[in-house]
Amino acid sequence: MTPRRTLSLDAWAVALSLTLALIVRLGLIKTVPW
Amino acid sequence: MATSSTTRDLRSSRLADEPASLPALLPGIALLALVGYAGKATEHAINTYAKTHHLTFPNIEYVLWAILFGVLISNTIGLPRIFRAGVATYEFWLKAGIILLGARFVLGDVLKLGGISLSLVFVAITLSILFMTWLGRAFRLSPALTTLLAVGSSICGVSAIIATQGAIDADAISLFAFPVIGHALHMSDHAYGLWAGLAVDNTAEATAAGALYSDAAGKYAVLAKTCRNALIGFVVLAYAIQWSRRGLANAATEAQLQNKAGFLWKKFPKFVLGFLFISLLATLGASSNPTLAALGFNKAQLLALGNLSRWAFLLTFAGVGLRTNLRDLFQQGARPFIVSAVGEIVIAILTLGLILGADRIYHL
Repeated sequence: MTPRRTLSLDAWAVALSLTLALIVRLGLIKTVPW
Repeated sequence: MATSSTTRDLRSSRLADEPASLPALLPGIALLALVGYAGKATEHAINTYAKTHHLTFPNIEYVLWAILFGVLISNTIGLPRIFRAGVATYEFWLKAGIILLGARFVLGDVLKLGGISLSLVFVAITLSILFMTWLGRAFRLSPALTTLLAVGSSICGVSAIIATQGAIDADAISLFAFPVIGHALHMSDHAYGLWAGLAVDNTAEATAAGALYSDAAGKYAVLAKTCRNALIGFVVLAYAIQWSRRGLANAATEAQLQNKAGFLWKKFPKFVLGFLFISLLATLGASSNPTLAALGFNKAQLLALGNLSRWAFLLTFAGVGLRTNLRDLFQQGARPFIVSAVGEIVIAILTLGLILGADRIYHL
């Protein structure tokens, strides 16, 4: 994996996590069972 | 480190040879979910069976089942090509899981635990650098090679330095040995988690080794390992400066040293910023100031995010099993494995001593 791809993997992980956090914050998802 | 990323590179390339489009990733991701969920269902089924029959079984975390099912699939029927690209995404799920784990830490905890982890990481790195430098001199290796071994083994782990394509590193063994040792020593979740995070090289395996002990230990293992990853840049920079002073650095290193901040930023794992951001919002939510609290997450939201993080880790653990190829171990021969295992055992004992010492002083 080149440094560039590693960076983009990080960026994708941050993007997905923050999107999920936003969806939860907006109340679009109330509960996630485990 | 270069060697570490090369190892990861080779591992990933065995799973996926070319970058894949989203539809091509789906079968593998579905397999990760299936294997992970089977592990979770197995844990639940065993616990339910034990309860209804009034039996006392030791609780085996779903992590172990997910990894075992993965190993079983990849080493019996093998991983069909259609799944490979998706299975290789386990590292992505690991990072997403770590970022979302920020919801389970308030910043005060991160600073306190991170501070303890960082100081232990610092002591562990210093001790292993001294040990490896002594070893290098005892075997009359060149200064450059000694430095590579010292830095590499203390940060990336011995296995990353020694491992070549197909070599299975000793991390797989630590997955099974660490929880047994932890239980035998009656370690607290915090002490055990710190130990797993400090001693296991690979972030996925460190997370799994922690989660095998308990949910809370998994959380601490991730924090300790993340601190260690975040330190890489500083240690590499310190060594690069030392090399440059001795006139050993090449032109490329000298050029990089012109911009030290840029050098540190390049080595810094960026997803940690996402973790800190989520943790900041978790902290704000717990604030007594209503305006600040309104900006952050409430308790139900934190629970939802914590569970999302657990689901992401579930995919990671399935991936850890699916990418472990036992056949490679036998093809490779025992020697690299033994050298790697001995190196890791020394580091594991060293960090265990540190943690037990710190536990006495700070009551982890």
